[in-house]
Amino acid sequence: MLRVDSLTKSFGSQTILHDISLSLEDGETTVILGPSGSGKSTLLRCLNLLETPESGSLTIEGDTVEFGGKLSDDQVRTMRQHSAMVFQQFNLFPNYTALKNVALAPVLNGKMGKAQADQLARDLLVKVGLEHRIDSYPEHLSGGQQQRVAIARALAVSPDYLLFDEPTSALDPELEAEVIKVLVDLARERRSLVVVTHNMAFAQKVADRIIFLDGGQVTYNGAPSGFFSSDDERIRKFLNVYEMVDYTM
Amino acid sequence: MDRYIELWVDSLPQLLLATAKITLPLSAIAFVLAILIGIISQVFRSNKFRPLAWLANVYVWLFRGTPLLVQLFLVFYGLPRVGITLDPWTSAIIALSLNTGAYVAETFRSAVASIPRGQFEAARTLNFTKMQTLRHVIIPQAVRIALPPLGNDLIDLIKGTSLVSTISLVDLFQSGKQVAAANFEPLAMYLEVAAIYLVIFTVLSWLQSLLEKRSNRYMRSVHA
Repeated sequence: MLRVDSLTKSFGSQTILHDISLSLEDGETTVILGPSGSGKSTLLRCLNLLETPESGSLTIEGDTVEFGGKLSDDQVRTMRQHSAMVFQQFNLFPNYTALKNVALAPVLNGKMGKAQADQLARDLLVKVGLEHRIDSYPEHLSGGQQQRVAIARALAVSPDYLLFDEPTSALDPELEAEVIKVLVDLARERRSLVVVTHNMAFAQKVADRIIFLDGGQVTYNGAPSGFFSSDDERIRKFLNVYEMVDYTM
Repeated sequence: MDRYIELWVDSLPQLLLATAKITLPLSAIAFVLAILIGIISQVFRSNKFRPLAWLANVYVWLFRGTPLLVQLFLVFYGLPRVGITLDPWTSAIIALSLNTGAYVAETFRSAVASIPRGQFEAARTLNFTKMQTLRHVIIPQAVRIALPPLGNDLIDLIKGTSLVSTISLVDLFQSGKQVAAANFEPLAMYLEVAAIYLVIFTVLSWLQSLLEKRSNRYMRSVHA
């Protein structure tokens, strides 16, 4: 289980997240939606401690950190083991092949030896449909292929929660489809996914839970059906942008 | 023309000897030290303990902001006034390595600064330690970015060694000057000196392009 209690995050004088509380069940796919600047990415990054909130607490699978004071390196590392982030810009290491990108972290984290990590990486790259690009450097891969390597890289550290920060926003529609397919496969395997995305079809058809953020606050937290048929003015306004209103009627 | 060829052939051994005894070893030693200084500066500058960062910044500011010739004179002629007397060779090594070190520090700083922030975040999300991030993510990418400007730093250093003639070291340039004073052929001699510098430069440029190709092997532009 992942639980956030009274989490607050600001940048300078601007408060991005106001007193956020929510809890997610294992095996669920959660999609975080919200207008631009609503704090979606910041919330996601807080779950992986890429941002440090000012107050509140975060609990994943029994480990808790309380924000407010200085976190020790050990605390951060322990907490971070529970999740792994997939970034909008992929952020693969350009100096390593696809295989090494995936196999590196399990070895450096001391979880397994090189041979075992290479085998794991091979299996994961097959899983995301890249068995033919195992020895390619990121520069020689399309955006969609790079993002699939990045997903395999995140899977390789066996996180409890996989976090996706707009994983398809940098991709053309045809490349977006191949990445979404991998996400759908992971959701079907009942992996715990938290996805910030603009892909409304994914949110509607694949998500178990929608969290809608507006102005740094959670204004909806529940099933997609309730979200897409909501009467809430802010949600209607948001969905209008995607012309999703008629679609759900 | 025949006379020039004869002058060049006659003086070449003497000039090459000066190159081998002073110009090349001085450049090589000063460059190795400059790289060490550059690494230390970069470590200081990225240190959370700010006084170390300030110290490194002041060093770079002083040695980039003043002429090499002035630095050389301060070390060789100036320091004896405060009781520190160094021989010309040591003075030359100190001035050249401190001067080049400041440029190398800048090269390293801009190389690290040009690594995208996303690379550091990817390392963090995968729970790499600081040392692992440095070794597997930052250094391999920074070295590739730093190679071309580092080559420039070395070439500037080699040409800069010609200034050590002013503190009584007989390097390639000083040796040419001595021959010219004896045979009254400054045009022939300085052309020869220039040609030897040019040969050194050409060999180094060629080595550098080999090294860059090797370090760029994973980049698309090289394969395309």
